Amino acid sequence: MKKTLILFVITIICASVSGQAKKPTIMVVPSDAFCISKGYFTTVNLNGSEQKIPDFKKAMQEDSQIRLVITKMGSIMSDRGFPLKDLEQTLKSIETESAELAMMASKSSGAAISESPIDILRRTAKADIIMDLDYTIKRQGPSQIITFNLRGLDAYSNKQVAAAAGVGAPSSFATADLLLEEAVLSHMDAFNGQLSKHFEDMFTNGREVTVVVRVWAGAPVDLEEDFDVNGTTDMLSIHIENWMAENTVSGRFSTSDATENVLKMEQVRIPMMYKSSSGREMAMDTRRFVSNLSRYLANAPFNIETKIYQRGLGECWLIIGEK
Amino acid sequence: MNTKNIILIVLSIVVLTSINGQSRKDLKAIYHSQYSYEVMCLGVGQDGTKAIKVWSYGKTAEIAAHNAKRDAVAAVIFKGVPGGNGAAPTPPILGIDGYEKNQTFFDEFFKAGGMYLGFINLTADGVPSGADRIKTDKGFKVAIYASVNFDALRKYLEEQGIARRLDAGF
Repeated sequence: MKKTLILFVITIICASVSGQAKKPTIMVVPSDAFCISKGYFTTVNLNGSEQKIPDFKKAMQEDSQIRLVITKMGSIMSDRGFPLKDLEQTLKSIETESAELAMMASKSSGAAISESPIDILRRTAKADIIMDLDYTIKRQGPSQIITFNLRGLDAYSNKQVAAAAGVGAPSSFATADLLLEEAVLSHMDAFNGQLSKHFEDMFTNGREVTVVVRVWAGAPVDLEEDFDVNGTTDMLSIHIENWMAENTVSGRFSTSDATENVLKMEQVRIPMMYKSSSGREMAMDTRRFVSNLSRYLANAPFNIETKIYQRGLGECWLIIGEK
Repeated sequence: MNTKNIILIVLSIVVLTSINGQSRKDLKAIYHSQYSYEVMCLGVGQDGTKAIKVWSYGKTAEIAAHNAKRDAVAAVIFKGVPGGNGAAPTPPILGIDGYEKNQTFFDEFFKAGGMYLGFINLTADGVPSGADRIKTDKGFKVAIYASVNFDALRKYLEEQGIARRLDAGF
């Protein structure tokens, strides 16, 4: 009897615990314009045309001012409950990971870690929100003037969700470091105000992501294949859109491309939370949302095998035909 | 002057008086409004603070200066601080309707000698003089230079459940 009572209490507690949405990671990254203007870039030849690629590692190692700005921003964001993901540390971690993966071998057979070329290509610094930073300090007579430009880019939608930009007051006494600190203090409240509105919108209208349905070459069906669902015969792409309308927040998404091979849906508002089979509230992400669509297509009348391919943080591909 | 003209003149006087009376009433309402204060940014404040100049009204210069302290805190909560002197604009901690939504809390917070005083440091205390002190028909309009502990105020309002935390829900 006592055991039953304890079990009952535990069940009630578990059921009442509500989960929390996935907390976005935020990283300050110097803008391409900043890196190129300061000489922190490498030049690569891509199909005959020379391209400048920003070298973040060099920027972090050689520019004490950018480190100061990132530290100041980090302290403000940490105070607001969002400790920043550090770019320099992330780059170091990726390098160490690459070295460890290359050296690692199984104890019994000596097998190496399995890694596809795609896995290697995707081993880069990532964050949910990129704080794209750019500044210049110009001289006007005896005075120095700082121009500051900070953009918050959502990696899920590639949209600018917050921004703070402006020109500081001219100063003939302040050092460049002091001007930078002043610029950060001046702009961060406005930036965080906009970021807060973006989060409020996310909780009200769902997280904005992109879902793309593709077809493997040699797949037995394409997106124009007709299926009968509950007496309605329509193309597969229309049935997928119907499922999206049922499962997105307020049915919000827009189809930007639809052919027999591709169905691209942007501004897909996925719910922040979902209820697991045990009744617990869990955080929803793009991959999990698309896996629900994959399950829908695996069932009758479709019976289609699919592969889920997560591309970036807010984009997922569902490739139909095989795994 | 015939009777018709007399009636016309009397009617005109009555109408004009009532219009004037209405505008006076409006002016009185504006004068006594809780939103009747003006804010100006003095530049980038020290870490976590806002340096502002606030104009407020009162029957005496002392009362106006006292109201200005309260209005300085109210401004950063409900109105925000406009940009200026090299500083970017600061959005308000709550919206303009923040008072109406949390009236009981703010009536206690802004009462005479209330908690609001803990978030304000005056850079120029005392009764303002010179250009910062203007005599009006109803009393005085004065300006004070204040430094408001913006971060501490925001945190306090978040702890009290009045303002939304940036990481709320995550």
